[in-house]
Amino acid sequence: MTATASRAQHLIPAVAVLLLSLTVVWLSFTREPAAAFLFPRLIASVMFLLAVWNCVRAALGLARVGAGLELEECLRIAPGVLVVLVYVLFVARWLGFYTASLGTFIVLYSLYDPASHFKLTTWLHRIAISLIFMAVIYGLFAVLLKVQTPRGLYF
Amino acid sequence: MKRRTLFAAALAASLASVGMVRAADYPDRPISVMVSYGAGGATDFQARIVTMVAGNEEYLGQPMVIINKPGAGGRVGWNWFASEAEADGYTLAAYNIPHFIAQSIEGGVKYEKSSFEPIANWGADPAVVVVPAGSEYNDIESLVAFASENPGKVTLSGAGLYVGHHIAALQLEKATGAKMAYIPTAGGGAAAMKAVIAGDVVAGINNLSDAFRAQEAGNVKILAVADLERNEFLPDVPTLMEAGFEVDNASVNFRGVMVPKGTPDNVIDLLAAKVPEMFANARVTGKMSAGGSPMKIMTRDEVIAMWDARQETLTELLAGLK
Amino acid sequence: MVSGVGVAVEFVQYFGGVFEPISFLLLLGGTIGGLILGATPGLSPTMAVALLIPFTFQLAPTQGLILLGAAYTSTVAGGAVSAILLKIPGAPANIATALDGHEMARRGEGARALHLSFMASGIGGVTGVLLLIFLTPVLAQWALAFGPPHLFWMAILGVTVIGSLDSNSFVKGLLSGCLGLWLSMIGYDDIQGAQRFIFHDALTGGVNIITALIGIFAIPQVINMFAKGRVHRAIDAVAVDRQPISSSAAELTTHTKPLAIGTLVGSVIGLIPGVGGQIAGLLAYDQTKKFSRNNESFGKGEPAGVIAAESANNAMVGPSLVPLLTLSIPGSPTAAVLLGGLLIHGIFPGSDLFENHPDVAWTFINSMLIGQVLMVFFGIWVASYAARVARIPSSIMAAAVLVLALFGAYSVQQSMGDVHVMVVLGIAMYVLEKFGFSAAPLVLGLILGPIAEANFIQGSMIAAAVDGPWDYFFTGSLNIALITLVVASILWSFFTSGRAAPVVGERSERAKSAEEVS
Repeated sequence: MTATASRAQHLIPAVAVLLLSLTVVWLSFTREPAAAFLFPRLIASVMFLLAVWNCVRAALGLARVGAGLELEECLRIAPGVLVVLVYVLFVARWLGFYTASLGTFIVLYSLYDPASHFKLTTWLHRIAISLIFMAVIYGLFAVLLKVQTPRGLYF
Repeated sequence: MKRRTLFAAALAASLASVGMVRAADYPDRPISVMVSYGAGGATDFQARIVTMVAGNEEYLGQPMVIINKPGAGGRVGWNWFASEAEADGYTLAAYNIPHFIAQSIEGGVKYEKSSFEPIANWGADPAVVVVPAGSEYNDIESLVAFASENPGKVTLSGAGLYVGHHIAALQLEKATGAKMAYIPTAGGGAAAMKAVIAGDVVAGINNLSDAFRAQEAGNVKILAVADLERNEFLPDVPTLMEAGFEVDNASVNFRGVMVPKGTPDNVIDLLAAKVPEMFANARVTGKMSAGGSPMKIMTRDEVIAMWDARQETLTELLAGLK
Repeated sequence: MVSGVGVAVEFVQYFGGVFEPISFLLLLGGTIGGLILGATPGLSPTMAVALLIPFTFQLAPTQGLILLGAAYTSTVAGGAVSAILLKIPGAPANIATALDGHEMARRGEGARALHLSFMASGIGGVTGVLLLIFLTPVLAQWALAFGPPHLFWMAILGVTVIGSLDSNSFVKGLLSGCLGLWLSMIGYDDIQGAQRFIFHDALTGGVNIITALIGIFAIPQVINMFAKGRVHRAIDAVAVDRQPISSSAAELTTHTKPLAIGTLVGSVIGLIPGVGGQIAGLLAYDQTKKFSRNNESFGKGEPAGVIAAESANNAMVGPSLVPLLTLSIPGSPTAAVLLGGLLIHGIFPGSDLFENHPDVAWTFINSMLIGQVLMVFFGIWVASYAARVARIPSSIMAAAVLVLALFGAYSVQQSMGDVHVMVVLGIAMYVLEKFGFSAAPLVLGLILGPIAEANFIQGSMIAAAVDGPWDYFFTGSLNIALITLVVASILWSFFTSGRAAPVVGERSERAKSAEEVS
């Protein structure tokens, strides 16, 4: 059981949200036409007030909800998040959805699979499951629903 | 120098031949057709009907799949089509005239007439003036008379700003000299029609096809058509011209398909030859007329001329109305 | 169509149509297919129905409609499966289901939650369709009574729920809601066509609600699975309890209050065109929580929460078709797609539909009625297998959900920009959740923003032309009734949050979704 995050940790997102709301306020009150920004102005003002309130609470150490992020946990998720970003932002379109998804599936599965990386059977198992899963995805999206996906270099 | 031109020519030829080879087996997979309005709207369901036989061997041999990218009166979809869609012949879009031309004149979008290459036109849907079934107005004259006496009191719902309905409303205001309040709705033609049926507004401008069905169901009365002549579906409803108001056919909603600029010529030629035939298929025309949707099939050349003409009249009209 | 008895005779007369061999096969196929599509993270009912429309080209009108009706019914209920087992709602309608349903699944009570959810869906759904059958003419008038000012107040009523919904911190709940409202304003403004907050080209189309939903719920779950490291299980519970159906059914009978509230709220909200079923589940959940004696247990795996949410979102299905079938006005995005499906077959919904095409109209409605019942049976049958999702290793689950999220987000509008928005929102949401912000209020803001704004602007424009804003927004019995509800809801939130404030601090130690259980 982790307790709540420290005061300093809570202050970081609080300040980030405050800065975001400041930007929104600034954009809403400076852009034209005014008629189209009437509603955003209202929302931005409320959001700014709430963000200030939240920031004050964080600074006074009253913010106690949320476990916060720990270094150890960040290190565990970092490789996975990196793979997600590379997959979604670059590889999916470049290689084609199906190829990229198959590759990503194998990589993510292997990264977080507790089984030994040094056995042939592990890898056969991993590749088989990935292929079966991608076949299901292909059947659902391409055959049944006829969704066109970017083809990229391969498919 | 000479060698360089030769090389360039060879390169161009080889590139062209690559294009030709690809076109030889075009289309070898399903073709997407982007509709800039939500699923279930008039443009969407007409697009679904006119593309339903694309998979037949005598037309394209591959099905056409509709994708909806609704938002801001069509701007979202056409922006995407002009800036992001691949010009490979597998991404087509439905166009709505005068909408996209009027929006490009108004500004703030990433497309203009020359961003797109028309393929063929399938329908022409005039704007009509509708009032709720229980309204006290039974003809356009009495509505206009009330509007003249009470400036700004007549609320007119329509599908958005700088779409056919808005153009018709602007023209009507200009022709009658009566000030009316045009209320754009966020949910397209269907939401504008709901506002009329429910009596949220005094009157509305809507598509003839939708209004025809709503009138058949006894929910609204159609007072006038904004076109040059009466419509086959509504032989008893006068045009605004007949009622004595100078409103021409600038607001008639032409619908058809187009490709982004840069699509290979041979693909355009193939589509321009096959698509009008596909629109004329008996199953398509049968479903369209059953749906109360007026058809008007035009070839690529006819559409190019129509776009040019609309660009001119709309530039003039919008400059005069501002 | 006039007297209730006449109607009863008429709809029974067309019952046979549903049981013709091909029709019944389509009904079965539509129901099972709908459950699977609905349970797939990233496929909403609207999308599933839209993607099925091309199939109806080859079918006769009635058969096509049977397929669509059955699919609509069961996708809404199917969304509960992924909401409960993975905390990834299949559609906005299932968000409230995820709040308590997933907590139950984490305790190993996935099968129980699924049983309750399908039975509640069935009861709500059948009630909704019966309302459609017997009260259509009356309800059609009621649906039309809601004009722009009333829809505006409805949206505000929804906003007042934000602060109390699934958050242990009042201010962070409200702030999450504001973030959602702001996100909903990105892109072209629908009425004026002005560009707002477009920082990147991917945002010109705005933040699509379905892609946002996938990002905000699915991506944090994927990262949560990463955070477990190299371990075997996806869900913390080691054993999945066996759950006999009889005990689930018996349990449902003890929860008549949430069932009644859910069905009532769902039917009423479903009827109002423009609000749609997206918020029915959340409002019903909130009402049930407010009326419950042990409202502290909501959000920690309270079965009443699941029952209220699911009965509401299926009760909404029947009434949401009233404006469509009688006035040709689609009340929800899914109804709009169904309208397209009807028009393609040359059938025009309208007050004369039941006179001109009674076979089509009644077969369609009957297929939804039978579809609801079939859905309960298949749902329960599937539930015991589906609950075994808990046994799938988290490494496979993370990869599978991620790939589904990519395909789902892409196929909404076939836009790579949407996919990028999805992943950015997802990662941001993961971090925010770690600090006590929550996803449900954010999505509620995202849904309500456009409804509130469009009706406010439209109402103001109409008001300017007629009596002025005061008379337009503040007079009339419906306006006053809605404003009273809004005020009551705000007072309630203040009263209870004041009382619960000290408890919040203690509860934070068990902060739910963000919590690390090791």
